[in-house]
Amino acid sequence: MKNIKKLVSLILVVAMCFSLAACSTPKPAEPEEKETNEPKENEATETGKKIFRYSLTADVPTLDPQLMNSIPSSTVGYHIFDGLMRNHVGEIQYGVAEKYDVSEDGLVYTFHLRDAKWSDGEPITAGDFEYGLQRLADPATASDYAFIITSLIKNADKVNNGELPVEELGVKAIDEKTLQIELQNPTGYFISMLSMPQFCPTRKDLVEKYGQEYSADADKMAYNGPFIVKEWKHEDRLILEKNPNYWNKDAINLDEVHILTVADPMTAVAMYEQGELDQVNVPAEVLENYTDKVSYYFDGANDFMKLNMDGSSELKSKDLRLAVNYALNREDFILLATKNLYQPNTRYILPQVKGVDKDYGEEYPYEAFPVKGDEAKAKEHLQAAMTELGVSDPKEIELELLTTDAERTRTEAEILQNQIQTVLGITVTIRQVPYKQRLQMESDREFEMVVTGWVPDYSDPMTYLELWTTNSPYNHGSYKSEAYDGYVKEGITNTDPKQRMDALFNAEKTLLEDGAIIPLQLRRNAMLLNPKVKGFETYFVGLNYDYMYVDIEQ
Amino acid sequence: MGKYIIKRLGISLATILVLVTVVFILVRLMPGDPFTSDKMTPEIKANLEKYYGFDKPLIEQYFTYLKNLLKGDLGYSMKYKNQTVNKIIEDSFPFSFDLGIRSLVFGISFGLVFGITAALNRGKKLDFISIVIAIIGTSVPDFIMGALLQYFFGIKWGLFPVAQYLGFKHTILPAIAVGFYTLAQVSRLMRASMLEVVQQDYIKTAKSKGISSFRVTYKHQIRNAIMPVVTVLGPTVAAVLTGTFVIESIFAIPGMGKFYVQSVQNLDYSIVLGMTVFYGAFLVIANMIVDILYGLIDPRIRIAGK
Repeated sequence: MKNIKKLVSLILVVAMCFSLAACSTPKPAEPEEKETNEPKENEATETGKKIFRYSLTADVPTLDPQLMNSIPSSTVGYHIFDGLMRNHVGEIQYGVAEKYDVSEDGLVYTFHLRDAKWSDGEPITAGDFEYGLQRLADPATASDYAFIITSLIKNADKVNNGELPVEELGVKAIDEKTLQIELQNPTGYFISMLSMPQFCPTRKDLVEKYGQEYSADADKMAYNGPFIVKEWKHEDRLILEKNPNYWNKDAINLDEVHILTVADPMTAVAMYEQGELDQVNVPAEVLENYTDKVSYYFDGANDFMKLNMDGSSELKSKDLRLAVNYALNREDFILLATKNLYQPNTRYILPQVKGVDKDYGEEYPYEAFPVKGDEAKAKEHLQAAMTELGVSDPKEIELELLTTDAERTRTEAEILQNQIQTVLGITVTIRQVPYKQRLQMESDREFEMVVTGWVPDYSDPMTYLELWTTNSPYNHGSYKSEAYDGYVKEGITNTDPKQRMDALFNAEKTLLEDGAIIPLQLRRNAMLLNPKVKGFETYFVGLNYDYMYVDIEQ
Repeated sequence: MGKYIIKRLGISLATILVLVTVVFILVRLMPGDPFTSDKMTPEIKANLEKYYGFDKPLIEQYFTYLKNLLKGDLGYSMKYKNQTVNKIIEDSFPFSFDLGIRSLVFGISFGLVFGITAALNRGKKLDFISIVIAIIGTSVPDFIMGALLQYFFGIKWGLFPVAQYLGFKHTILPAIAVGFYTLAQVSRLMRASMLEVVQQDYIKTAKSKGISSFRVTYKHQIRNAIMPVVTVLGPTVAAVLTGTFVIESIFAIPGMGKFYVQSVQNLDYSIVLGMTVFYGAFLVIANMIVDILYGLIDPRIRIAGK
């Protein structure tokens, strides 16, 4: 009897193992089938299809144009939606609008739309644009990115905080093909922002049909850009396909774009090597193996240290802030921290943003602090700071450097700590916290020095400068300067491009001469690109890749 | 037996409820919130909090969550804005499950073979080899195992695809990387338990009865020695089937493990909670099955459970 029971149970165990194994069979069958119809290495040419393949470390969080809040999703958004205008790596082209007029005071823009269609054949109307922007501003949408219009479009701030109904937003569809947008201030760069997905037309009928599920899957939305989403397997692959209804479809060469999720950057490099990807960013750790093959581009991210100047820290002393600024050897810092992948930065504004006619950095060259540092000046300022603070021994000055808990940021913080302590003899302690906590501590002003950064939202110095005005919600360091506020205000109101840009440059200079921040580095990426891919461009505002016009050499 | 199962079921449900409550509180004690970002203004944050119901008292949010949970609704992700947690699990779990099954089959079958071989050849070369394999499996972390397998078999020798999960060939390297630990664990356990069983009187009796050594091993030794292995299978199965962050990252597999880890970093409350509940339920069920199996195999446990 006992033996029979044992036998039965043994059979059960084995059966369980097998039944579990059997459960699994339906699943692999699906991916396996895919293997056959999935274009592999070089298959692109065999099938005659032109396919461009790149990878992301994580899937795009959303394809809802008004909810997009990350560069990778905005990059896809740029390619699946068509705004009034298109910003092709800084060159402004017409999108759904075929022409536009600006009122004399620079406040009212009237756009005349061409006959263009959605991917489902419906005509694109001015109402679709009106609805898209109203949806962005609407507090019920709760878009993270509403901030992009709250100081730009008339009444957007009041709509977003619930003071006014969405109908009061300064966007009006005059008729089917005419759209009027009213701004708060004359803003020259407004036109360059119109290709951001947040500004793109949106279908009210589809949003209402799908509710919160709108855009959750490829078939739960409509597209009007050069590409449509053919397939979206979340956290695995996003396949774009040429949009046959796109008004400018003849300019599009690619048949498909494959965006794969590859979490590990080293794996992505390996896949590029195997011919499974056409473009990949090389991590700093292995950059030395590829130095002759890579090309570099800036993604706009600008890392600096925020300093707390609200009086609770010794950093209220301008001389101390300048002492730290002069003490740093940014050239060594970059070499040690990222093996020269990033670029040392000695000013605040990204030199690549647009100036009056050319790049801002070209028109206004500036080096606030020597890139190798200046020990003599640093000590001079330290002396002055010690007198001001009533301190006799530099060791008595203790500063806490707050940073994220990643390995890279740890290295960065240690190098900075070492440089500051060696040159100035003051004490620097490092505190590492998770990323979200660091952000929270920044906005709660619970820091002395924090390594942080900013990614530009449009190609104009203002995208950086608006952070530090006295009333800015991002002014976590409590920087207060009437001169600075004055220059920035002039940058908002002055309509003369040259005078305006001069004022913005003065603002940048004021900020740095006050030592309000400690510039560190500009993030640079090293990229491997399949030589057969032509016309691939990188950009630093709103999106990082522009593959709209890419062609694949056969 | 029925009573025993009902009792186990009750305990399991209570465990899950405690789990949900603890995680619900813990996740909110973490510094920061899902909406913390470098471009967040107080006005927009207020809109988001209202949208997700965070403006309501915590206790109300808790009961709303429980109510939805009873309906099987895990809510919307806060990072993947239009995706429900149910959908995310539905999409990602099959990959983790598939990989998990493969690594279990690999780990358990080879583990048993190695363990039995080692025990039968105690102190000899084969035993030594199995010890070395077990030490490697236990001490080399999976991310190193994964990276090494990927480098040698994928990149250097080109025998297997470097990444992605598209077909049988793609599953081999990750399954080995995940299953190696199970292999080591099972082989050590099996060896130890075999050696213990071999000293039992019934083995001596069987031998003295003149039964062939193959039959003794097969019929008496292995069958009795396998019990401890079944015990560890519960937690191992749950852990392996619900995904492994590192291996999924290295081999670009769209599984659940990656979501779980990233959602903690992103403070995506809904995913953290939803996946914890899912994982917890899985673990509890796996343990329950083991307990029931145990009761079936060994009547003493069943009686003690009554």
